[in-house]
Amino acid sequence: MKKIAPLILLIILIIFPLVIQNAYYQHLMILVLMWVVIGSGWNVIAGYTGQVSFGDAAFFGTGAYTAGILAYHFHISAWWGMAFGGIMAMGVAFPFGWICFRLRGAYFALASLALNEVCRHIATVAEPLTQGMVGILIMPSFLSKIPYYYIALALAVLSVGFVQIVMHSKWGYYFLSIREDQDAAESLGINTHHYKMVSLNIAAFLTGMAGALFMNYMGFIDPSVVFSLHDISIMAILVGIVGGVGTIFGPVVGAFVMVAVHEFFRTGFFGLFKGLAALTGSDFLIVAAKYISQAHVLGFGILVVLVILLLPNGIVGDWKKIVDKLFPFKKKGVST
Amino acid sequence: MKKSKVLVGLFLAIAVFFTFSGCGDNGEKDSIKVGIVLPLTGKLAKFGEIENKSFLMAVDEINAAGGVNGKQIELIIEDTTGKPDVGRSAIEKLITQDKVVMLGGGYSSSVTWATIAVAQQNKTPFLVNTGSADKITEQGWNYIFRLNPPVSEYPGAFESFLKTVGTDVKTVVILHENSLFGQSGSKKFAKQCEALGLKVIMKEGYEAGAIDFRPLLVNVKSKKPDVIYMISYIMDASLLMRQSKQLNMNPKLFVGGAAGFTLPEFYKNAGTASEYVYSATLWTPSVPYPGAREYYDKFVKKYNTPTEYHGAEAYSAMYVIADVLKRTKSMSRDDIRNALAETNMMTAFGPVKFISYDKKVNQNKLPTFLVQWIDGKLETVWPKEVATKGYVYPAPKWNKR
Amino acid sequence: MEVFLQTLVAGILKGGLYGLIGMGMSLIMGVMGIINLAHGQLMMVGMYITFLLSHYLGIDPYLSLFVSMPALFLLGVAIQKYTLNPLMEVDSILPENQVLMTVGIGMVLTEITRFIFSSDYKSVQTSYSNATFFLGEISFSIALVIAFFIAILFTLFMFWFLLKTDVGRSIRATAQDKDAALLMGVNSKRITIITFGLGSALVAAAGTLLMPIYYLFPDIGGPFTRKAFVITILGGLGSTVGAIFGGITLGLAEAFGATYIGMAYDDMIGLIIFILVLLFLPGGFKRLTKI
Repeated sequence: MKKIAPLILLIILIIFPLVIQNAYYQHLMILVLMWVVIGSGWNVIAGYTGQVSFGDAAFFGTGAYTAGILAYHFHISAWWGMAFGGIMAMGVAFPFGWICFRLRGAYFALASLALNEVCRHIATVAEPLTQGMVGILIMPSFLSKIPYYYIALALAVLSVGFVQIVMHSKWGYYFLSIREDQDAAESLGINTHHYKMVSLNIAAFLTGMAGALFMNYMGFIDPSVVFSLHDISIMAILVGIVGGVGTIFGPVVGAFVMVAVHEFFRTGFFGLFKGLAALTGSDFLIVAAKYISQAHVLGFGILVVLVILLLPNGIVGDWKKIVDKLFPFKKKGVST
Repeated sequence: MKKSKVLVGLFLAIAVFFTFSGCGDNGEKDSIKVGIVLPLTGKLAKFGEIENKSFLMAVDEINAAGGVNGKQIELIIEDTTGKPDVGRSAIEKLITQDKVVMLGGGYSSSVTWATIAVAQQNKTPFLVNTGSADKITEQGWNYIFRLNPPVSEYPGAFESFLKTVGTDVKTVVILHENSLFGQSGSKKFAKQCEALGLKVIMKEGYEAGAIDFRPLLVNVKSKKPDVIYMISYIMDASLLMRQSKQLNMNPKLFVGGAAGFTLPEFYKNAGTASEYVYSATLWTPSVPYPGAREYYDKFVKKYNTPTEYHGAEAYSAMYVIADVLKRTKSMSRDDIRNALAETNMMTAFGPVKFISYDKKVNQNKLPTFLVQWIDGKLETVWPKEVATKGYVYPAPKWNKR
Repeated sequence: MEVFLQTLVAGILKGGLYGLIGMGMSLIMGVMGIINLAHGQLMMVGMYITFLLSHYLGIDPYLSLFVSMPALFLLGVAIQKYTLNPLMEVDSILPENQVLMTVGIGMVLTEITRFIFSSDYKSVQTSYSNATFFLGEISFSIALVIAFFIAILFTLFMFWFLLKTDVGRSIRATAQDKDAALLMGVNSKRITIITFGLGSALVAAAGTLLMPIYYLFPDIGGPFTRKAFVITILGGLGSTVGAIFGGITLGLAEAFGATYIGMAYDDMIGLIIFILVLLFLPGGFKRLTKI
């Protein structure tokens, strides 16, 4: 069953856009797939290697701008940016890791936050190159969403697969050992600096590619969008943590949940309240609908607080806990 | 076993969402749906609110008067949260899910810029009423129309003022916030200064939200410019003026590039530092267009809060939309687009007729005005024909007031 | 010369306020080792309290210090007790859940505030909001000068508090080595609660002092949190005196950067200093002093 489940999921994902024609939902799924990529990347450096980064937007934005600049200044199709975006992001990750990996824990997280902000500032003021706050606009290559969907799906599958392979290899063990106890690992002869660099570059590459995909799909980027601390870096962390840190499928679940929840709240439960209000004509529901959509970020924030309090290892990590809570009568035998 | 339970749970959730989203906006069967994008939350919410209220006020008036050929107009307003990517999603939802016949709104140049590409690609007519970066109508996109003047034309009245009254002005310093509005507006204005023979001795951007502009201002002061031209939103504008006063900086003119400088909050927050500050503006309640004054009074009466040029833009845009829907041959997007292109009417914001000039297409060309804060009130001072009060030039120095 | 002196004054005065903002975070980070990403939002709450008092009761901001500080102290205590302490018990793979919790809390605080007050800009106008006095050609903003001195006062107070009182010493002990402190009979749970409360109260004071010369809206927190980090790292974790020096350093860096390089870069300068200090002076200024 364990082996088949991911396959079933894959098949469903493949036929999804053919079944669900609604462009809006296709759009949401593309976002989900993009976040799977970013979340997987973050998971590698943070979940598995224990170096929590607050600056994933730096890689994302670099990838996005690579694609954008190629298209805007050199008139090369932005799709080349997918390959180069990942590489350029590694180009940012490399010196950053080299310099900042001597920092531990909270300090490293702060340094990555600083990296995020520095990149954003550079993008804002380097107008000749990045067009500053004017942003880069390109006409999307395809009108329909379906090609984008499949590209995103391919990217997501590749990311998850790649992470799976890496984590089952020797590298995976090195990463875990660094997370558990860096000094012990070092004393065993593991070159922790080297492996941290590898881990970071994997994360950067994946995230950079996602950024390039974003440029191609959205058609418009500017520094505040792609280098956003809240919308990209923190969202990446949430995807990882809500889904389940240090699990292969954590980012998959996390991406789906976070995008769904975000949009759910923004549209007032997908118009559920509006629908109910129309059905019942209840004034209370109409007002409630209005307030819910206004307070969508609030709902989101409360959810984050609750999830972290109750499911600290994420949905996949704490799955047993969820099952036990929801189906208390299903306890078979001894629970751990 | 674990994973399959996860998947089952996921599918159930998906199913629930899809079912319920269906019973969302059924609305009234016999109404015409128009999509409006505005920033209702986020940093730009204040302006989004003014425009939202204006749109609602206008559509209520129009529907009460019989709507469009008997049918009611239904506005579907989506929140862009002031972010370009959210704006894009919102527009897509309006076009593909709500199937609106045309689009309106468009506050904030960067969000508008991101959304018009979607509208154009989907061949849905979009009447922009606030986003002011020039390039919005410079792409040759035939589905995008703009009601308001582009930012390069904002200082029009100011320039004519300089040519007639401020002939002794020789040097300019330009300060702007680092947004699309500020960056593009400042570039255009710098070019226009050169054309006028004025020397731009300093042009600097800043991140909005700074606490202390003094290091910047003291630098400006040392250069002794004749004019300081600022492109800022409201709070930066207030701080800039307050701190200029505190530094006792006295150029011949302080001029704002609309936006923050024309809001009543500017006076509330800057207090006496707002006195004698000029600003470019696109509209004031005293402009000689029918319905301008009435719009202002109606709005204040209904919402108990003042309005300004953004609201007038929204209000008038709604009337243009209604007019287009009345004239269009059918509700197909192409027919609506053609009807939009043929618009020729008067609104509270001014005459509306879309023409092409320079690099622009489908742009409405309107004159702009110069206002000045005198005794805590925003008075129109130029052109003379529409002035409500005489201008004060040059402004007396801070310590002599 | 005038430009240089004016910039210097601006930097130092702003730095005092910065130091106060950073002090709270420095304390929290030093004692609990958690990054409080809701720091700016706590300041925002303090500012709204000040606004309410001024707008509806006509109370001067300096007096509302006596309200906003205790209020935020209680809020900080509640946050630590009910949301953060429980996390420390839970066994999770990554300790960074605490940080994310603060993100969630920050979001909740911001949105509740937006709900109540809408996104409008609010400000408090006092007689001294715009008052300045001149020493020669150099203008001094009176409100900033007062804030500066109050910040110094707080620093001295905290210095004495941490050095001489029992609670203060317990805090320092917990910061230095939590397990050892536990062994010595320090109730570390209580200490963390008190510390978070103290940190919140300090940043509320900074917010209240900032009200007369700045403005207020729900999203104001973010940039201040970032500045607080820079100041904390500059000054050294847990060091209140260090925070003042860190704050002044940042204030000067921003001011001189704005004047001589360009205002668009002033934030970046702070960030670059931040990274440099992280790399080359890992203990911050604290290294150079005792506390």
